[in-house]
Amino acid sequence: MINVVGVKQEVPARRSWTKRRDAKAERLTGMKDIASGKVIPTGRIVEALESLIVPGDRVSLEGNNQKQASFLSAALNQVSPEQIYDLHMIMSSISRPEHLDIFEKGIAKKVDFAYAGPQSLRIAQMLEDGKVKMGEIHTYLELYSRLFVDLIPSVALVAADKADNEGNLYTGPNTEETPTLVEATAFRDGIVIAQVNELVDELPRVDIPGSWIDFVCVADKPYELEPLFTRDPRHITDLQILLGMMVIKGIYERHEVQSLNHGIGYNTAAIELLLPTYGEQLGLRGKICKHWASNPHPTLIPAIESGWVESIHCFGGEVGMEDYVRARPDVFFTGKDGSMRSNRTLSQLAGQYAVDLFLGSTLQMDQYGNSSTVTSGRLAGFGGAPNMGHDPRGRRHSTPAWLNMMTSDEPLARGRKLVVQVIETFQTGNTPVIVESLDAIDVGRNAELATTPVMIYGDDVTHVVTEEGIAYLYKTTNMEERREAVAAVAGVTPVGLQHDPKRTDQLRQKGIIAFPEDLGIRRTDAKRSLLAAKSVEELVEWSGGLYNPPAKFRSW
Amino acid sequence: MSVAYLFPGQGSQQVNMLHHLPDHPVVQKTLDEASETINESAILLDSESRLQSTVAVQLCLLIAGVSTARVLETLEVKPDMVAGHSVGAFGAAVIAGVMDFKDAVSVVKQRGEWMEQAYPKGYGMGVVAGLPLKQLEEILENHTTGEEDVYFANLNSPDQVTISGSVTAIKRVLASAKEGGARKTEMLNVSVPSHCPLLEPVSENLASTLNQISFHRPTIPYGGNRTARALRDPEAIKDDLAFSVSRSVKWHQATSLFYELGARLFIELPPGRVLTDLSCRAFPSARSISVSDSGLKTAQVLINRMQQTQ
Repeated sequence: MINVVGVKQEVPARRSWTKRRDAKAERLTGMKDIASGKVIPTGRIVEALESLIVPGDRVSLEGNNQKQASFLSAALNQVSPEQIYDLHMIMSSISRPEHLDIFEKGIAKKVDFAYAGPQSLRIAQMLEDGKVKMGEIHTYLELYSRLFVDLIPSVALVAADKADNEGNLYTGPNTEETPTLVEATAFRDGIVIAQVNELVDELPRVDIPGSWIDFVCVADKPYELEPLFTRDPRHITDLQILLGMMVIKGIYERHEVQSLNHGIGYNTAAIELLLPTYGEQLGLRGKICKHWASNPHPTLIPAIESGWVESIHCFGGEVGMEDYVRARPDVFFTGKDGSMRSNRTLSQLAGQYAVDLFLGSTLQMDQYGNSSTVTSGRLAGFGGAPNMGHDPRGRRHSTPAWLNMMTSDEPLARGRKLVVQVIETFQTGNTPVIVESLDAIDVGRNAELATTPVMIYGDDVTHVVTEEGIAYLYKTTNMEERREAVAAVAGVTPVGLQHDPKRTDQLRQKGIIAFPEDLGIRRTDAKRSLLAAKSVEELVEWSGGLYNPPAKFRSW
Repeated sequence: MSVAYLFPGQGSQQVNMLHHLPDHPVVQKTLDEASETINESAILLDSESRLQSTVAVQLCLLIAGVSTARVLETLEVKPDMVAGHSVGAFGAAVIAGVMDFKDAVSVVKQRGEWMEQAYPKGYGMGVVAGLPLKQLEEILENHTTGEEDVYFANLNSPDQVTISGSVTAIKRVLASAKEGGARKTEMLNVSVPSHCPLLEPVSENLASTLNQISFHRPTIPYGGNRTARALRDPEAIKDDLAFSVSRSVKWHQATSLFYELGARLFIELPPGRVLTDLSCRAFPSARSISVSDSGLKTAQVLINRMQQTQ
């Protein structure tokens, strides 16, 4: 009691500082009859979810472009909508039909996500029909970070390979985003439920400690895993080989790129398969492409085997690469048990901040280098590409490539991350890739998004590579010059046709654009025979039989 | 994984298509029901001369699709979702349990008659392939004068659409599309400007006719032509059957939605393989077959296998 002269003060009611903890304890009481210790019987998972989740909860459901907590998402789709409704779902990726079924049933109402490629038409329709309330379309890192700020989950539903009775989890090569989702939930008194493929007495290693986990449940079948990063070299074209040669000669060699991330596609697969052949001819082994933030792409096997690669940190695993990775611990991050450890958050962070270069492709790019993969009527998001495809402005660790991007000698001048877009000027079906204005603008407007869904902003792009040549955009000094540089390599697209060919020579002289011949590359040399492996069989051979491709990639 | 049945629309008809249906009591029963409804022998509808009329064409398509789906049912296979292109939607509605087959026959017959009478001459349809939709949209806008209208009719794939309207306007659009780089521009051999607002009166007639017959809840989702939504409400399906004839058919979107809903096997009911070709191109990672080409046995085996795969 404080007495101030002449004023009578009342003491405020004592505030509770443990409301969240108390609420969690309250929820757990209902589980006594359902779970035995931390273990929920497989057949009682729906009942358990109904007991643990309350309407309006923020639920983090594990599911990215690779690993899916498919047993738990199916169970959530079976809870009673009378009992559980209006959930706010937080999902890296909306991939499975039931991810949206729960909105149709009213179990969930609002969503925050990073990628919805496999359900991109349906989510656009449901948004239009008022069946989904949109939070935001994030990038992976933004979504993960917000889990610790203002999107803290009440419940996390995650997937692991194995658990023991204490709730310790083994996530193995596919650790991916599990630790992040669990950490954000467990340490703010949320409830963490993990589906596991099996319950064992002893784990190969502990990826997530049991004290962070409230419940485990053995799934009726193993979690879904998509082999998303496998590209069959048979489909790589001569044109993609030309693009790859230009990248290696005109960018990787020129700027001494030592650490990098590759998006997934045939263009990047071509580059990876050219390192041991074309790269070797140029004498670049040990000088470029030594450190990678990327998944264990099977097309990296020949480069690894011929001594190009010193280290790879992975976002996730890749189906079929388990034994190969296990046998190459000098290159990959592995646990004491020998199997790989991935971490999506940390690898994204590495890809954003630590590497010299990001290289990817797009379906559409405007004349200033802004790019997007959205197509009319669909709402897909971009997952991790925007994280890696930009220049983190605060970076200061200097590498030759980063310093090489400096275009002034001002005392405070900084280097830049290299952001490279490799495109063929036309898609199949006569659709130009380089356009005057992005379809994304209409899509964003129709879906009433706060910002246009741009994948990579033009001002972050340092290089554009097309079958015509390379535009060194980082050298341009103003928007008009940037536009001209893009147009000069835009071929016979409408943007390219408007370009004044007289300006091309000036841009070439200034080194702002380069044609293959300027780089000493003969178009006729770009042949499939240059690929270190021309088929999945050859990748298996390079791996000494350790790579075990999924059935759909086996043609023999 | 799920199985979608696709019922083809006009353009897929073939002479003797009913005669080529399997020799099965269910086919005979379906033909008998149709004959009873139209007061003539349905099997005679598939001659070259009768197929000159859209009425016979539409009836033949309905009968061929429904009878084949019924034969598959006797083999104990059923789809998880259905969609039909244009008049094919009636077959889809029957197989989804939304309307009775005889009702469908009677409505489709009238639909054909109204369409035939709507624009005796000077109107038709064309097809454009290999031009981005956005570019074609601009061309259409430039050629719609108010007197001579031309519209999108069927959005079959991102680079294949049909257009409907007055023949002179269509020809102008086709010329501009060709100039703009289209791979293929052609007039279609039809005299009805289907799937555009010019057929609004047909829709009105259909709506009042459909209102007089009984509709049931579908047993499986029905893919709407007009909205490309998976419909489960009988009223919404009724609306789709009435109004799709005067609106664009969003076929690519409707089947894309099915893919997102888990369809990995698309089975096209007879006749032909027009929709199979579209699905093959749109969904390379799914399987698309036509019963006409592959036969009932193959369809049965693949459906069973697909529905057992999770």
